[in-house]
Amino acid sequence: MTRSQLRLLLVGVVAALALVVSACGGGDDGGSGGSSGGGDAARQETGEGKTGGVLRQLGASDVDYLDPGHTYYTGGYQVAYATHRPLYSFRPDNAEDPVPDLAADKPQISEDLKKVTVKIKPGVKFSPPVNREVTSKDIKYAFERFYSVNVGGQYGTYFSAIRGAPKTPTKGVKPISGIQTPDDQTIVFNLSRPEGVLIAAALVMPITMPVPEEYAKEFDAKNPSTYNTHVVATGPYMVKNDAKGNLVGYQAGKSIELVRNPNWDKSTDYKPAYLDGIRMTTNNSNAAVSAQQVLSGSHLVLDTNPPAAQLREAVTNRKGQFVQLPGGGYRYFPLNTTIKPLDDVNVRRAIVAAFDRDAALKARGGRFTGDIPTHFLPPGIPGFEEAGGMAGPGFDFLKNPRGDMNVAANYMKKAGYASGKYDGNEELLLVAANADPGKAQAEVAKAQLEKLGFKIQFRTVPQDAVYTEWCQVPKKQVAICGSAGWFKDFTDPQSMLDPTFKGANIFKEGGNNNLSQLDVPAIDRAMDKAAGLQGAERLKAWAEIDKMITEQAPAVPFSWDKTTIIWSKDVNGVGNPYYSALDFAFTSFR
Amino acid sequence: MGIYILRRLLYMVVVLLFVIALTFLIFYVMPSADPAALRAGRSPTPETLAAIREQLGLDKPLYEQFWLYIKNLVLHFDLGNSFVNNAEVRDLVFDRLPNTLFLIAGAALLWFFSGVLVGTISAVKRGTILDRAAMGSALLAISAPVYFTGLVALYLFSDDIGLFPLLPGAGAYQQAEGFFAKIPTLIMPWIILAAAFSAIYARLTRSNLLEVMSEDYVRTARAKGLKERRVVVRHGLRAAITPVVTVLGLDLGILVGGAILTETIFNIPGIGRLSFDAIERGDLATIQGTTLFLALAVVLMNLIVDILYAFLDPRVRY
Repeated sequence: MTRSQLRLLLVGVVAALALVVSACGGGDDGGSGGSSGGGDAARQETGEGKTGGVLRQLGASDVDYLDPGHTYYTGGYQVAYATHRPLYSFRPDNAEDPVPDLAADKPQISEDLKKVTVKIKPGVKFSPPVNREVTSKDIKYAFERFYSVNVGGQYGTYFSAIRGAPKTPTKGVKPISGIQTPDDQTIVFNLSRPEGVLIAAALVMPITMPVPEEYAKEFDAKNPSTYNTHVVATGPYMVKNDAKGNLVGYQAGKSIELVRNPNWDKSTDYKPAYLDGIRMTTNNSNAAVSAQQVLSGSHLVLDTNPPAAQLREAVTNRKGQFVQLPGGGYRYFPLNTTIKPLDDVNVRRAIVAAFDRDAALKARGGRFTGDIPTHFLPPGIPGFEEAGGMAGPGFDFLKNPRGDMNVAANYMKKAGYASGKYDGNEELLLVAANADPGKAQAEVAKAQLEKLGFKIQFRTVPQDAVYTEWCQVPKKQVAICGSAGWFKDFTDPQSMLDPTFKGANIFKEGGNNNLSQLDVPAIDRAMDKAAGLQGAERLKAWAEIDKMITEQAPAVPFSWDKTTIIWSKDVNGVGNPYYSALDFAFTSFR
Repeated sequence: MGIYILRRLLYMVVVLLFVIALTFLIFYVMPSADPAALRAGRSPTPETLAAIREQLGLDKPLYEQFWLYIKNLVLHFDLGNSFVNNAEVRDLVFDRLPNTLFLIAGAALLWFFSGVLVGTISAVKRGTILDRAAMGSALLAISAPVYFTGLVALYLFSDDIGLFPLLPGAGAYQQAEGFFAKIPTLIMPWIILAAAFSAIYARLTRSNLLEVMSEDYVRTARAKGLKERRVVVRHGLRAAITPVVTVLGLDLGILVGGAILTETIFNIPGIGRLSFDAIERGDLATIQGTTLFLALAVVLMNLIVDILYAFLDPRVRY
C-alpha cells in the first residue's frame, strides 16, 4: 500500500472513529446483570463471580504469538488481553465503546487533529522479573519495536500518520520522532496528518501494551525477536515464567499456563479476574471429542466453535453453557471482476442468484455459526441498520439463501447466454484452503458454479497461502477465492468496505485486499465523500455505498459470522465480542 | 566387522545427504507457501515482504542458501525456524520426541510379545479353531484403521466421554504430570497402536514358524526326543523370529518419525502430531525438519538392524 493510497483510506476513517473514541472513558465497574450464558453477548453477566479455581481451555490451535507487538489473531488476543494492559480495551458487554485500561482517562485530541495525548495510570507494575512501575516510555518502546523486522508488527498502516513512523520494517529498533514522553505518565503522538481520531481509536490494539526496553532489547536484537518466550505482563495474569523470565508455561503447539500476576493491583483495573489460573491445551486435534469433554466435564471451555453436533446440543439443550459472540465481519467468495466472464455484472448476479449460500454456511457449521448475509455491512457495525439490517437492500439475486435458478437464468440471458447457463470455454481458477472448513465451503462453491455451467479448476493450498500467495496476488489470476473473510479491527463501516471494494485499493504487486478487484469510479467517489462525514450522515452514506457494492455483485456473501463458545456446567463463562473468545479476566466458576 | 560398519555408516551419510538435498529442493525451490509471507502475517505489502526475505536470507542465491542450510544442520543440528509456532524446529522436535518414544516403546513391547505369542500358538495349533480364530482376529485388526478403533475406544472406554468409563481418554496424557502418572493415560493408545501391528506380527510369526518347523533340523530335534515346547521355542521360534525383528527395527524407525494417527486421536503431542499440524498449516520448516528426522530415524534403525544381522549371521558382512 503506498502512502497516498493509505492516506485516502485512512482520512475518511477518522470521522467515523470519532464516534468510537467519544464513547471512551465510560469505565464504570458495575456489572450489567442479567442471566449468564444465555447466548447473547450483550446480556452476559459481568458482575460478581466466585473467586478461585483453575480453568482449562481445550483449543484447536495455538496462539499466533504471545508477543503483544506481533500478535494479530484471536488466540493471541485472548491471552494478550488477559496478561497485558493496553491503553484502552473493551468490556465484554460492550464491544463498541472502549474504556481506559492502562490509560487514566480518554485521549485528548488537539483541535487540528494532529496531536493525541494520553495520560497513564500510576501504580501499574510489570510482572516478575521486571517488577517496576510502567511508564509512558514503555509504551513508546512498544511502538518502536513493533516496526522492527525482528518483531514483525502486522498492522502498522493504522499508525502511519504518526510522525516518523516507518513505512517498511526497520533493521533494529529505531526511535519514532513523533512519539514523545514529556513525563513518566504522559505519552504524546504527533501526527503528520489530521488523523487524531483514527489514532485515538486504534489505541485499543495490542501495540499499546507496554514493553520494558531494558529487559526486552536483548531479545529484540535477535532475529527473530525472542521476546515472544520472555514476555512480561501488566494484566491480572501472566504466562508462568522462571526467575530469568523464560516462559516455562508456554510450550509451542502444546500448552500455555497462565497464573496470577503477583504485581497486578486490582485497584488500578476494571477487570475482576476471578480465576487463580488458566491452563490452555492447544492443538487438540479432535474437535468433536474436545467439545464432548467440555459439555460433560467440569472446569473446561472450548476455544472456538464446536462441531455442528455439539453446537446444536449446546444451543438447544445446554442453556447457560454457551455464549454467541458476533464475529463483526463477513465471509464471502470474491468473484474476480477482471476475468471473463466474471467481468459482466449480470453473470456475477446470476452466480449469486444461483448460489446455495445455505449449503456454504452449513459447511462451516450452519446457522449457529453465522447468519446468511443480504449485503456486506455486518451486524454490530454502525451503519448496519441504515443499510437495511438483516433484510438488506432487497436485490432479487440475494433473496433466496438456497439459490434461485430462475433468477439466475434471467441474469445469464441478460448477459447473452440464451440457454440461461454458461456455455463458454473459459476455465475459472478457484483457490481454497486444503483443510476444513475452508475446503468444504469451497467445494460447495465449486458445485454451485458448475451447476450454472462453469468449468472450474479447483486448487487447494495451505490456509496461510490462500491469501498471501494466491487471492491477494492479482497476477495469479484467481477467479474465485474460496476462503475469504473480512473482520473488524474497529467498529466502523468504512473499515469494512473501503479496503475490500475500493478501486483505488487494488494493489497489483501483492497484499491486495480488494480480492474482487472491483473498480467502479462512482463507488470510489462515494467513498471519498463519505470518508469526510460524521454522525448519522456518515452512517447513511456508508449504507448507500454498501447498497452500491451489493448491486455490483462482486462476491457471494455467505456468512455474517457468530462464534459460539461452550463451557462446562460449573463454569460461568463470559465472552469478549472484541476478540470473539472467552474473556479470562471476567470468567469464573459457579 | 569394522570395515562393514564403516561401509554402512558411509552409506547412511549418502542417503541422508540425498534426503537433505531432496527436501531442500522441495521446500525451497518449489515452496507451496512463501516463508516470508508466513512470517509477515496478514496483508503484507510487497516492501514488507522484501524486507523479510532479506532478513531470512531468502534473497540469496539458491546454492548459498543450500550451503548455509547444510552448514547449520551439520554444525548445530539447526532445522530452521517455525514461523507458525515461532520456535526453532530442533527444539520442537526434541520437545516432542520423548512423548513419541514413550508411546511407541510401550506399544512395541505389547505388539511384539502378543504378536509373537499369538503367531506361535497359531502355528503350533495349525488348522484348529484356535488358529482360525486368531488369524481371523488378526485380519480384522489389520483391516480396522487406527482412527476408527481409536475413536470407538474413546467413546466406549474413556473416563470422560465413554459409555463404560474405564481408562483416561483424549488429552489425559498432557494433563498428567510425571512419568508414572502418564502410564495409565497411555494404556488405551498403546492398545490401539499395538492392535494393528500385533496382527501383522502374528501373521508373520506364524508363516515363518510354519516354514521353519518343516526343516530337517527340527525333525532331528524331535527325533532326539526333545519336548515339543523346547523344539518350538529353542529351535523353531529362534530361527523364525529373525525376520520379525528386522521388521520391528524398520517399524520402530518409521514410528519414531511419528505415530500420526494415534497421537492425533489421543492428543499426544509427539512428532507425528507436530508433522500433522505442520502439514495442515503449511509450516514448511517444520515439515522439512520432521521429514529429515524421520529419514534419520529410519536410516539409524536400519544401521542397527544391519549391524545386529552381521553379528547373528557373519555371511552378510561380505
